[in-house]
Amino acid sequence: MHFDPAVLVDYWPLLLQGAWLTLQVAAMALVIGYVAGIAVALIALMPGWLPRLVTGCYVEILRNIPFIIILFVVYYGLPFWGIRLPATLVGTVALALFASAYYAEIVRAAILALPRGQFESARAIGMSPMSAMWHVVAPQILRTLVPPSTNMTLTMMKESSVLSSITVPELTYQSLVVQGNTFAPFEVFAAVASIYWLIAALIAEVSRRLERRVGAVQAEATSRNRIADRYLSLVARRS
Amino acid sequence: MGFKLDFLLSILPRLIGAAAVNIRLAAIIMLLALALGTALTIVRAQKIALVNAFIAVIISFVRGTPLLIQIFIAYYVLPAIGLDLSPEVAGISAIAFNSMVFVSESMRGGLATIDTGQIEASTALGLPPHAIWLKVVLPQLFRRIVPVLINEATIVVKGTALLSVITVVDVLRTAQQIASSSYRPFETMVGSALVFLVINLVISLSGRLAESRFAAARV
Repeated sequence: MHFDPAVLVDYWPLLLQGAWLTLQVAAMALVIGYVAGIAVALIALMPGWLPRLVTGCYVEILRNIPFIIILFVVYYGLPFWGIRLPATLVGTVALALFASAYYAEIVRAAILALPRGQFESARAIGMSPMSAMWHVVAPQILRTLVPPSTNMTLTMMKESSVLSSITVPELTYQSLVVQGNTFAPFEVFAAVASIYWLIAALIAEVSRRLERRVGAVQAEATSRNRIADRYLSLVARRS
Repeated sequence: MGFKLDFLLSILPRLIGAAAVNIRLAAIIMLLALALGTALTIVRAQKIALVNAFIAVIISFVRGTPLLIQIFIAYYVLPAIGLDLSPEVAGISAIAFNSMVFVSESMRGGLATIDTGQIEASTALGLPPHAIWLKVVLPQLFRRIVPVLINEATIVVKGTALLSVITVVDVLRTAQQIASSSYRPFETMVGSALVFLVINLVISLSGRLAESRFAAARV
């Protein structure tokens, strides 16, 4: 067995097309999923038990079912109700649906972590609920929102590989096509894994810039003492 | 063509039967991930620069690439380098490797919450390193990461559904077989969604019970 990247020479355009579609699908699902997630979070915070129950079911159902099953339910469910869409669109909608449950929990937790007085004082000085959310709550939760949202977006981008099973020609789908043509699994999957790795690094970099902008606080593990660190820390002490 | 609830009910026994495969695989994967994750954490704590740099690359790879790709690597690439694994074993290896990294990463977080005085005391008493790990650090660490492990268990259960793409006959593949012979894919998929929902809710709920037990034991 030898590693020969030359077998891929004719297939780079195909893989790059796939990577581009993966990026587009993930970006679309991020936007749609986040908007839906904010809506679900705001409903969850409405007074009374009913909104919390309904949104709780929404979140728990979507988080406890494998994404590949959610994808197939949407894929077969839409035509069932007479809606026929191209596979790429179906996949994007399913991905956004899946991500919205997690984004909703992130947004809800961030709002709950803010002292309640913030929203109430804004209301007391006569702001409408919407404008209190937008002008008082939103700016303050941005910094707590960025790190978990980045994690979720990375997870969601990786889950988009599952769209290959409904023939969306994204990166994983193209890798299987190339694998079928070249019979060079080592080269193909090394290349594809590297591309995903790059996309993940790209998302992480965008998030780092965003964090610097909104001043997100990242918990930094500090070493405490030399003896305890022998067991309780996994990073070498800089001295 | 309406939603046929009686059809859904009629196929549930077959789907539940297939769920035994997912549960068995998930249990094996969790045990492996826990053992390997613990070992990896202890190795990382030795802080050997070259080894940790290598492990950091592995961790970044596992976290930066889709699980599905990791499963394909185990299924297509390992045989090419002479390791001919059955689909089940390839799938178990891929998910366990993935989960090992997440277990070790959550252990890293857990370690930071253990009281430093205990390590100083154990060292002062002259306990050998293996005793400090086994009797002092690990028992507390495991308790602390129970919530994370429960969450990881549900992620692993969800991950086993991906093994249907490498021909493991699990809930999803059984559902696909039923769907292609009955032409009722929607009901079938809703059925398998229900099966996974129940498995994971049971895991989460029993996890919450176990947590409150541990919380009580700590006092």
